[in-house]
Amino acid sequence: MAKVHISIRVNGTRHELAVEPWERLVDVLRDRLRLTGTKVGCGEGECGACTVNMDGKAVLSCLLLAATVDGSEILTIEGVQQGSELHPLQEAFVRESAIQCGYCTPGMIMAAHALLQREPSPTEQEVRTALANNLCRCTGYEKPVKAILACAKAMGEEHHG
Amino acid sequence: MVSFFRPREYYRPKNLAEASSILAASSERGRVIAGGTDLLLQKSKGVECIVDISKLGLDYIKENEQGICLGAATTVSAVHASPLFSSGPYLVLSEAAGSLATATIRNKATVGGNLCNASPAADLPLPLFVLEATLLAVGPEGERRIPVHEFFKDVNVTGLSKGELLKEICIPPCPENAGTCFMKLRRHMTAIDIAVVNAAVLLVCRSGICETARIAMGAVAPTPVRARNAEMLLMGRKLNEHTIQEAAEAAAAESKPIDDLRASAAYRKSMVAVLVSRALETSLRRCP
Repeated sequence: MAKVHISIRVNGTRHELAVEPWERLVDVLRDRLRLTGTKVGCGEGECGACTVNMDGKAVLSCLLLAATVDGSEILTIEGVQQGSELHPLQEAFVRESAIQCGYCTPGMIMAAHALLQREPSPTEQEVRTALANNLCRCTGYEKPVKAILACAKAMGEEHHG
Repeated sequence: MVSFFRPREYYRPKNLAEASSILAASSERGRVIAGGTDLLLQKSKGVECIVDISKLGLDYIKENEQGICLGAATTVSAVHASPLFSSGPYLVLSEAAGSLATATIRNKATVGGNLCNASPAADLPLPLFVLEATLLAVGPEGERRIPVHEFFKDVNVTGLSKGELLKEICIPPCPENAGTCFMKLRRHMTAIDIAVVNAAVLLVCRSGICETARIAMGAVAPTPVRARNAEMLLMGRKLNEHTIQEAAEAAAAESKPIDDLRASAAYRKSMVAVLVSRALETSLRRCP
């Protein structure tokens, strides 16, 4: 059982790793790199708790074989914060009370992060489409949607001065 | 969480010829991986060997005089976003791509994967059926072209032989005056669930008379199928409420769905008529 060599950048840091042929990206992030902000809910691509950004796009790290992500740039919830400053999306989630138990939150933030990179001023429908793969069992979706729209608006105003 | 998906070997071939020879030499449990969104769910089927084709330059959409060619490892989101499919008869492909699972899954799921997984409810086979696409396979014997309607053999079974891989999907030029549409019924408006019934239609008509009608249906047989009886009913006839309804009922009659956890066979048959009639109406409206 030969291990597979991969070289990936996670939150700006390069990692050279030897992974098993069956390891998923989420296993590498959580068990090898100890980045446990990325959660495993269903492990079948339904719940979105494992959502991370790969080369700027939202992907499910439970459905990604680690061996296949060689050469890619991964961003996890640990990497969106700027120093001790929360990312505007994180701040918006706190401000709008879009968090209850918090298990789905990292996945939602990462799905929203990829959306805002691609579309800085999304419509409500675009936000809901981007969150369609993220399940929440506590607060529901109204507040996360509100938080993401508020964040996009604030970031747009800041950008335009 | 324990994952039961436990392949023992992983290969990253340098080209398709090498990928083909690894697959040809592997056991029956050798599988190709591109995005992995279907393969990583195969927990009980004992995948032993994985051949990674995600970095062989198979993610492309090219247009030439033969039509439009898609590399097998092109992501579903790239198809959905491509301006080549945003209008005209190719719209049916963009609509199907945009309805496949969720935006997050579409970022990794590939066109070739959706075809080779050969789910009876898969979305992308249907637009490719009505556009009469041809698939280019590569194997130990070289390349061969397979019409898309001959590709699917049974539930999760394709016509690819041992050591063969899907390389490219070729869509021939389409009549300018064609109108197309894709429709999909899911439970409870959830984005993630697969189709209860899905359908694609292509119509070519002149002065309201049908010159070509192609209707494809999914989740109503072990493989995606064309509704040939319904198509024949429309040929050469005036397209109106009456003939559309007649064709929709013919499509329902020739569908052979099963009862499962998503819907009963009887419900699926009724929904075939609804989806086909709506897809025909929309396609007619879209005929230039």
